[in-house]
Amino acid sequence: MMADLALGSLLPLAEAGGSFWFPPEASTVAAGSDFTYHFILWLCIIFFVGICGVTLYFMVKYRKRPGHKEEITSTHNTKLELAWSIIPLFLLMAIFGISTYWYLIMVTPPTEDVTEIQVSAKQWNWTFTYEGGALPAGKRFVVPQRLHVIKDRNYQLIMTTPDRDVLHSLFIPAFRVKQDCVPGRYNKLWFRPTITHVEATGDPEVGFMLYCTEYCGRDHSIMTGMVFVWETEAEWAAAVERDGDIKNIEDLVERGKVIYENNCASCHSLDGSIPTGGGPSWQGLWGAEKTAADGTKYVVDENYVRESVLQPGAIVAEGYPNVMTPFDWGDQNEAYFEGIFAYMESLKE
Amino acid sequence: MAGGIVEKPSSGEVIHPKFHYLNKSATTGLKSWLVTLDHKRIAIMYLVAVTVALLLGGFWAVLLRTELLSPGSAADPNFILSNDWYNRSFTLHGAVMVFLFIIPGIPASLGNFILPLQLGAKDLALPRINLLSWYLYVMGLIFFLGVLFLGGLDTGWTLYPPLSSGRPVELNLIFAYTAVFILGFSSILTGLNFIATMHKLRPKGMTMYRMPLFLWALYATSLIQVLATPVVGLTLGLSMIEHVFKIGIFLPQYGGDPVMYQHFFWFYSHPAVYIMVLPAMGVQSELIAAYSRKHVFGYKAIAWSSIAIAAIGFIVWGHHMFVAGQSPTAGIIFSFLTFLVAIPSAIKVFNWVATLYKGNIDFKAPMIYALSFIYLFGIGGLTGLFLASIATNVHLHDTYFVIAHFHMVMVGSVLTAFLGGVHYWWPKMTGRMYNEFLARICAVLVFVGFNVTFMPQFVAGTRGMPRRYANYLDEFTIFHQVSTVGAYILGGAVVIQAGYLLYSVFKGKKAPPNPWGAASLEWQATSPPDFHNFTEEPITMGAYDFENWEFVSEDAGYKLKQEVIDTRQSLSKVH
Repeated sequence: MMADLALGSLLPLAEAGGSFWFPPEASTVAAGSDFTYHFILWLCIIFFVGICGVTLYFMVKYRKRPGHKEEITSTHNTKLELAWSIIPLFLLMAIFGISTYWYLIMVTPPTEDVTEIQVSAKQWNWTFTYEGGALPAGKRFVVPQRLHVIKDRNYQLIMTTPDRDVLHSLFIPAFRVKQDCVPGRYNKLWFRPTITHVEATGDPEVGFMLYCTEYCGRDHSIMTGMVFVWETEAEWAAAVERDGDIKNIEDLVERGKVIYENNCASCHSLDGSIPTGGGPSWQGLWGAEKTAADGTKYVVDENYVRESVLQPGAIVAEGYPNVMTPFDWGDQNEAYFEGIFAYMESLKE
Repeated sequence: MAGGIVEKPSSGEVIHPKFHYLNKSATTGLKSWLVTLDHKRIAIMYLVAVTVALLLGGFWAVLLRTELLSPGSAADPNFILSNDWYNRSFTLHGAVMVFLFIIPGIPASLGNFILPLQLGAKDLALPRINLLSWYLYVMGLIFFLGVLFLGGLDTGWTLYPPLSSGRPVELNLIFAYTAVFILGFSSILTGLNFIATMHKLRPKGMTMYRMPLFLWALYATSLIQVLATPVVGLTLGLSMIEHVFKIGIFLPQYGGDPVMYQHFFWFYSHPAVYIMVLPAMGVQSELIAAYSRKHVFGYKAIAWSSIAIAAIGFIVWGHHMFVAGQSPTAGIIFSFLTFLVAIPSAIKVFNWVATLYKGNIDFKAPMIYALSFIYLFGIGGLTGLFLASIATNVHLHDTYFVIAHFHMVMVGSVLTAFLGGVHYWWPKMTGRMYNEFLARICAVLVFVGFNVTFMPQFVAGTRGMPRRYANYLDEFTIFHQVSTVGAYILGGAVVIQAGYLLYSVFKGKKAPPNPWGAASLEWQATSPPDFHNFTEEPITMGAYDFENWEFVSEDAGYKLKQEVIDTRQSLSKVH
C-alpha cells in the first residue's frame, strides 16, 4: 500500500515483522481481517477526500470578500439526495458482506484435528493448561502468562474465569483474535498460526504479544503475556515442560512469587486488605503468633504453612471462614514449598 | 401591537435594551436566580454547571495524558499516577464527561435558552419542571464530587459487574450509582419538557416544517432521552440493590449474568451517543446556514435523518458486545443494523456541504467550528465503519482505535458544536460580543489539538495498544507523546476561551439584536432578550430566509428589510 510505505518510513513498524498499520499476520484469519480493513480504508479515503475537497473548494470560491454575494439556489434536489443516500447504502452492504464472510470463518472452528487448551483468566494473570501430544503421558502442565502452540495446527481455547473474579478478554494482535472471558461461562476462541514467533521476531525468547483487553481492576495494564508458535511438536513440548516446571525458577523468592500469583493471590493480599471471601493477608504474617478459631495459639512457620496448604481445615485462623481449597502438587511439593517459604519470608522486609 | 421591533430597524439605530432578563425578574438578588422559572436564566445556570463539569473532566484527561507521556509505572522515575489512581482518573474522566457534560451539555444549556426563542414562545411548557431538572443535575454533580472526596472510583464509567457491584460494599460506588440515577431523571424531565413545548407552544404560523433544524434535532434527542434513560436508571438501580444486598442479577457467584448487564447498559448508552451528537448536528445546521447565508440544503432530509438516527440508534446496542460472548448470529444482525445508521449521518454531511454552494462564507469563529465539525465528524463517522464491520472489530475492539473513534465523534463533533454554538449565541445570551480575534485563534487551536491528540491513537490502536492501560510497551511511546502534546493544545485553547468569554461579559462590546444576519426568530428579540423573550410578536418567516435581512453596520448588525415588514403589516391588516 502506498500510504503504508510513505508513512512507514517515518515511524517504526508495528511489533517485530509488522507493517505500518498492523502487527505481523500470524494466523489464517489475519489476512481476511486486514483485507477488510484496507477495503474500508480506501473507500473512506475516497469519500473523505471528496467531502473535504469539495468543502475546501467552496470555502475558497465562495469566501466572503468585497464584491461577492450569495446566490439563491434550489433548497433541495430529490434526485441528487436519493443518489447520495442509495449509492453509499450499496457500498455499506458491500463492506457488510465482506466483513461477515470473514467473521464467519473467524467464529467457525474446524471440525477435526483441533487441539484444545484450557485458559483461566484471573486478576491479574493468565494460566494455560497443556496435556497430551509429546508431553509425558498423564501429566498436566500449568503455565502462567505463556501460550505455547505449534505452527499450522488448529487450536481452540476454552476460556473462563473463576466465579468470584471479574471479566477479562484475551487479545492476540498478531492473530487478530479477541474474546471475553466471563465468570461462569466457557467462551471459545479458535485460530491456526501460520508463522512461528521466531520467523517474526527473530528471537526464540520474544513471542507475539497477548493482552487483557477488558478492564479488570488495578493491574489490568500488566495482565499481559506472550504467544510462542513453535515449528515442531518436540520444540513445543520442551518449552511447555520448561515453563511448567517450577524448579526451573532458581531464585526461590522469585519462584515463590510465581506460585503466589498463580495460586494464592486471589484470596491472600500482600497489602493487609482482605478480598471478599478471602483469607488472611500475607503482610506481616510470616513468623507472627496468631490465634486459631478454637482459641489456641500458633506460630506461622514452615510446619504451619505446609499443613495449611495441604489440609487448610486443620487450623483455621480466627475470624475467617474455613473455605480454602487444598493444594497438592504431588512429587513437586518440596520445590513448591521452598519457594513459598522463601517468598513469605521475603515479605517481612 | 404597535411600535417596537417594527420601527427599530427602520430608524437605523441599534437599541440596547435597558431592561432584559438579566436585570429584570420577579425577585431580586441571588433568589432571583435560585428560584427562577425563566428558561433563559435556568439555561445560564446550566451553562455554568456544565462548564464546571467540562473543566473537571478535562483536568482528569490532562492528568491521564501526562501519565502516559512515558511507559512504565510506579517503579519508574517518570511515574505520576499509580495504577490505582490512573484507573480512578479515567473512570472519573469518563463518568464526568459523559453524564455531566456531553449528555446535558448542548440541550440543557443552549437548547433551554434557544428553544422557546426559536419557536417564538415565552418559555418552555413546564417551567417548574425545568428548574427541577437543574436541581437534579446539581444533585448528581454533588454526588460525583462526593465520589471524588471519598477517594474516587476505579470501575470504569461503564460500571461493569462483577468489577463494580461484586466488590465489598463501598460508599463511593453507591454514590456513583445514585448520581447517574438522579442525572437520568434530570435528563428525562428536560426531554419531556422539550417535547411538550414543541407540540403545545408553537405559535400560529410556526409549523413543524418551519422550525429551525436545531429544534428538530432537539426533538429527536428528547425522544431518546424519554425512552432510553429509564433503562439505565433501572439497570443501575438493580446493580445498587445487588451490590448492597448480594442478590443475583448480574453477579455470577449468585447466579446472575454479567453479559445481561452489558445488554441493558448499552440499550441506553448507545442511544445516549445520539443524545450527545444529535443536538450537535442541530447546532451545526444553524451555523453552516447562517455563515454561508444560504438556505440549508435538503431541510426535510436533515430533519428526518435526525429522527431516523434516533430510531435506528435504539437497535444497534449489540455492537458493543461483538466479543463478549453473544452469539455470532446476534453479532451479524447488530453489525448490519449499525451500518444503516451511517446513511442518515452521511445525508446530513452531504447536505451541509451542499449548503455552502454559491454561499457567502464568513469565517467567523463559529463557522470555523462548523467547518471543523465536517472534518472531525467525517473522520469519526467513517472510522465507525471499521468498528461496525465485525471482521475488523474483533481486532480493534477495546483498543486505542475505539478511543480515537468515539472521541472524534463525541468530543471532536460535540465539543466543537458546543463551542461553536456558545460563540454563535453568546451575543444573544449575554448581550455582549466576544473577542473575535482570540476566538478564531482558539477555534483553529481546538481543531489542531483534536487532530494531534487523536490521529496517532488510530494507529496505536490498529497496532494493538489496548485501552485503559496505565502502562504500555516502548513501541507505542511516540504515539502517546504526540497525543499528549495535542491534549495540552486542546486544554489550553478551552481555558483561554473560558477567559475571554468571561471577560466579555463585563467588558465586551454591546451586541446588536442580530449581529450575524441569521433568520431564525431568536434574532428578532433584543440582545439579551426581554424577560418575556419578545417585546412584541416576532414576524414569522422561514428560519433560513436570509434575504429578508440586510447588513447595516458592524455595530448595528443586520436589520429586517423594510419590504418584509410592510408585507407583514399589510397581511395582518387583511386578517
